[in-house]
Amino acid sequence: MSTTDTGQRRRGSDSRPVITDLMDEDTILAVAGDAWISLVGEDEVLVPIPGEMPGDVLSSWVDVVGPWTGSVVLTTGRATAEALSRALLRESAPEVLDDEDVEDAFGEIANVVGGSIKAALPGPSGLSLPQVGHSPLVRNPADVCRVEVLWRGEPLTISVQGALPPLPVTH
Amino acid sequence: MKILIADDSRVMRQIVIRTLRQAGYDDHDIVEAEDGAEALAKVGSESPDLILSDWNMPNMTGIECLEALRAQGSSVPFGFVTSEGSAEMREKAANAGALFLIAKPFTEDTFKEHLDGVIA
Amino acid sequence: MRALVIDDSRAMRRIVTGILTNLGYEVRDAGHGREALDVLDEGWVPDLATIDWNMPVMDGLQFVSAVRSNPAWRRMTMMMVTSESEHTQIVRALAAGAHEYMIKPFTADAFRDKLALLGLLPQEVAL
Repeated sequence: MSTTDTGQRRRGSDSRPVITDLMDEDTILAVAGDAWISLVGEDEVLVPIPGEMPGDVLSSWVDVVGPWTGSVVLTTGRATAEALSRALLRESAPEVLDDEDVEDAFGEIANVVGGSIKAALPGPSGLSLPQVGHSPLVRNPADVCRVEVLWRGEPLTISVQGALPPLPVTH
Repeated sequence: MKILIADDSRVMRQIVIRTLRQAGYDDHDIVEAEDGAEALAKVGSESPDLILSDWNMPNMTGIECLEALRAQGSSVPFGFVTSEGSAEMREKAANAGALFLIAKPFTEDTFKEHLDGVIA
Repeated sequence: MRALVIDDSRAMRRIVTGILTNLGYEVRDAGHGREALDVLDEGWVPDLATIDWNMPVMDGLQFVSAVRSNPAWRRMTMMMVTSESEHTQIVRALAAGAHEYMIKPFTADAFRDKLALLGLLPQEVAL
């Protein structure tokens, strides 16, 4: 098929941004670093070094819906998610953390990181309440910006990933 | 003073309470609410002097709570503590009658900056 | 090209059907997900399905999941049509297998632009 492209069809919405057009790893690291200092503790640092994820992992995430649509997902070992929750709760942490405490605390970190990521993206966008469980699937490998860090020596990933599948290839 | 803290996250309510204390506001009564609807009810039953509220909550959001309060004629001082600090949100908050919007993540200095003069 | 418009509101079905018909689509409609599955079961598998979120009997999310479980229907592009207040549900529908979404209210132009992006404009219109 050969057509003359008059450009008439090429309007603003004729393309869809992927996250790497809008954001880089350094922005995610900066946003996460601020969240860690505020929520986890003043001396808590994230070191941008990949580590080996344990088998039992937990994710927390918020969804962003707007000019870019997807999720901001934190993934770490279940034990690390619990340690993070303890760090947030500090002196009010119970002897034994239940699932609800971890969902609340780990979800809130995703909420704060996701809120800052949303603010760095073109708007207007909506933000969902935090969810905790198995990470949403990556629909489009080209629409992912991901950082791997260590917190207290344990691996954690932050993935800003699109929810839309790739567009069909046009000829 | 009596301060009502509305957030669906228990952890975040505790962090707000802790930050208030660290910022030097440690001599106040704290009342908690899990969502906007509970905050609205507690304004009636507890008569707080200040509300610090999250934005995104189930049942009733913070902005809906603020709008409902103002529609009822309540002028209780109201500030947001929320993970969404965009210019658009700040404008919405101010238009609805909020005194300030503290974006998460925050520090005790952010609290001091916004609350000095508001908390006696 | 064929489109199946799934919405429990007759007004919305008319609006979307009107837009798609003008673009050159052959359109059928259904009042909820179950009715839409019946149309697919007949063998009438469209290129595009527009799907409301809240519907009686079978909602949009259940419909998307049902479609994804049948490989014969994989070719169909599923577009959620949802209101602003449901925006936090959109990512769930996408994760379940929907391909795109439109937020109500929308214009015919916005609808057309999105279909162009997806390569789903009937040829005579695309040219």
